[in-house]
Amino acid sequence: MEKIEVQTEVKTENTREAFDPRLVAFVCNWCTYAGADLAGTSRLQYAPNVRIIKLPCTGRIDPLLVLKAFEGGADAVLISGCHPGDCHYTSGNYHARRRWSVFGKLLAFAGIGGHRLYFSWVSAAEGQKFADLINSITKEVLAAGPFDPINPARRRI
Amino acid sequence: MKLLRADRLADLAAALAAQGYRVIAPIRQGRIVRLAEWRPGAAIETSGISANSVKDFLFPRSEIIDRYSLNGGDFVQQEVSPEAIKTVVLAVRPCDAESVSVLDTVFNWDSNDVFYNARREACTVVSLACVRADEHCFCTSVGGSPESAEGADAVLRVAGGGDKFIFEPLTPKGHALAEAAGGVLAEGVAAADPVAEIPRRFDVKTVTEWLNKNFDSPLWQEFAAACLGCGACAYACPSCHCFDMQDESTRKESVRYRNWDTCGLALFTLHTSGHNPRSTQTARWRQRVMHKLSYIPQRFNLTACMGCGRCSRLCPNGLGISETCEKIAQLCKANHEGRAR
Amino acid sequence: MSIVDAIRADAAGLLQTGRAKLVLGYRSRRGQRVPILLTDAAGADQLVYDAECRQNLAAYLRKPEVRQHFPVGVVAAPPVMRSLVMLSAESQIAADAVTVLAVSENEYHGALDLAATVQLLREKYANLAPNEELLRKVREVAAMSEEERAAFWTEQFSKCTRCYACRAACPGCYCQWCVAKRNVPQWISTADLAHGTFAWNITRAFHHAGRCTLCGACEAACPQGLPLMLLNACVAECVEKEFGHKTGYDLAEKPLIGSWRPDDDDGFVR
Repeated sequence: MEKIEVQTEVKTENTREAFDPRLVAFVCNWCTYAGADLAGTSRLQYAPNVRIIKLPCTGRIDPLLVLKAFEGGADAVLISGCHPGDCHYTSGNYHARRRWSVFGKLLAFAGIGGHRLYFSWVSAAEGQKFADLINSITKEVLAAGPFDPINPARRRI
Repeated sequence: MKLLRADRLADLAAALAAQGYRVIAPIRQGRIVRLAEWRPGAAIETSGISANSVKDFLFPRSEIIDRYSLNGGDFVQQEVSPEAIKTVVLAVRPCDAESVSVLDTVFNWDSNDVFYNARREACTVVSLACVRADEHCFCTSVGGSPESAEGADAVLRVAGGGDKFIFEPLTPKGHALAEAAGGVLAEGVAAADPVAEIPRRFDVKTVTEWLNKNFDSPLWQEFAAACLGCGACAYACPSCHCFDMQDESTRKESVRYRNWDTCGLALFTLHTSGHNPRSTQTARWRQRVMHKLSYIPQRFNLTACMGCGRCSRLCPNGLGISETCEKIAQLCKANHEGRAR
Repeated sequence: MSIVDAIRADAAGLLQTGRAKLVLGYRSRRGQRVPILLTDAAGADQLVYDAECRQNLAAYLRKPEVRQHFPVGVVAAPPVMRSLVMLSAESQIAADAVTVLAVSENEYHGALDLAATVQLLREKYANLAPNEELLRKVREVAAMSEEERAAFWTEQFSKCTRCYACRAACPGCYCQWCVAKRNVPQWISTADLAHGTFAWNITRAFHHAGRCTLCGACEAACPQGLPLMLLNACVAECVEKEFGHKTGYDLAEKPLIGSWRPDDDDGFVR
């Protein structure tokens, strides 16, 4: 059927030359979000390309949320939470770890892998790690280029 | 009469494409033959029956029927023009061509569906009579035939043992097509090859009579026992036409889609209250059969089943309209004989 | 006695003695093999069995019309046997709800309860020869560049009409409220658009992690010829390699994604 391209919320036209990666980060409240906050209060510079979405725990992150992010035009998605053993809810991140292990591989097989989907453990004390992580991911995604039009999960209405 | 060499079917497609037609023809795609847009180099398969039907091009799987946008605080409705690409569906089976009259009726029943009608207006249907049938075909049981011209703007008939086709335009659209085809169609005389023999499996009047009176029969449970409730049959069916509306929205824009839906799914009749008038697969299978062979005949004096057999071919579990009808016919026969004794 | 004769005899026996009130098997219909649900022993002579029997009959155990006839008999090849074990492990059926008419291409093992079925699976069908053709195709896709893979799947998924025949055919899809049904919010678009179709097919494959027995019923049911087994095989391979998990060999197996071990791999985490 005819697919009609419609302007979505994205205002900037992303070309390889003018590419400004859009990263979406799903993070847990107790560790990574606090770590990101620490990066802020410590005045550590990190790329402004990331949109942070706070959830109580990585265990709550539904794979469909990740797909929604790619639907909406994310060039890359990061999922980050507490280190194993440190989960505020004891085992949420253990559930998440197993889930992401499988989902990540399936998504890579379907064409969303390497420089599109990232996972990390960042604790509340690791402000520097968070900043470094965002910076290195942004660089990698910049090199990989815009995910459109290849993105197989992209919403085009 | 106009003749077309069988090995020039692709040339016909090319000539029509050159005249601005979007050419849809049966094309092999892996293990499936599908009605799809013809492109140079694609081989048109004239034997067998495509997995999808002409319906796809008159009433597509998804269609935009409305658009809205949010401009500041203002809600703006945007104009949506029905899509009307000049199209020819080439070499479809007569059962597919016949199904168009059911769709025409339903989409112009209590209102005139502008989207369907625009596509219909722009579409020319060229059917190809069947010299072969498979074990699932049952057009002759529902008032059709392997050489029916109903619903077609032009018909192709196999001749000369398969080395040519007779092209017969029937309507103004068919004649326009013949003109567009130009020199690909040659003048000549030929006799059509005999069409496939398709023995009747059941008497549709007997079955319809039984259906009209047996809504509550416990036999429906037996007929529906193997159904697992998917949409494979309804989606492949050339005359099934139920749909669902969905709004696909971002924060700034909303697009209203009309999508196919199927009475085979539980969700189809689920009320917001949680009540479902067709809460069992038995009730849902019964609906499918009744709709085609009882309700639509009562309302429009049309049989809404073409006997194309796609439901039987595609059902993973051995159901199909003909299976249920044959069981009903056997039952009626047994009852009749029982009474006669 | 041939395999088919043995199945027929046992099926009739189950129905006659009341050990089963319904038997799920296969019959021939116009050259195809399709399911049959027998409640009368006299119908047992319609039963057939061969390699063309591809439907996973365990899928019927979610139907109320079948459940009301528990206990039931099920003609089952190893993938179907494993699905039955999985359903019991996931508390969808009581362990005594099913008598398994255990069969493979070459052998009939008799009418077994689920515990004996697990025994049989461990003894004879624990290391099933992998489907070489399927593995080859998986490798082919895995060897593509990421862009090629994205393009490949975009094309494959564009054929999907969202008929949900794959879901209907799968015994693991027993959720009364499939996530694809939910429309408040509409998680998975129902329009013929790439994003909804991608989400549906990926979600379907993912939800079967640790539960799929690679029976092939989904791909066989798909009217559009989507290569669903590629996705299933990717997940199954990952699940076996990472967690040593093979579905359906343990009545007490814990759901894979619902459980965890402290030493689960996190090499993919930065």
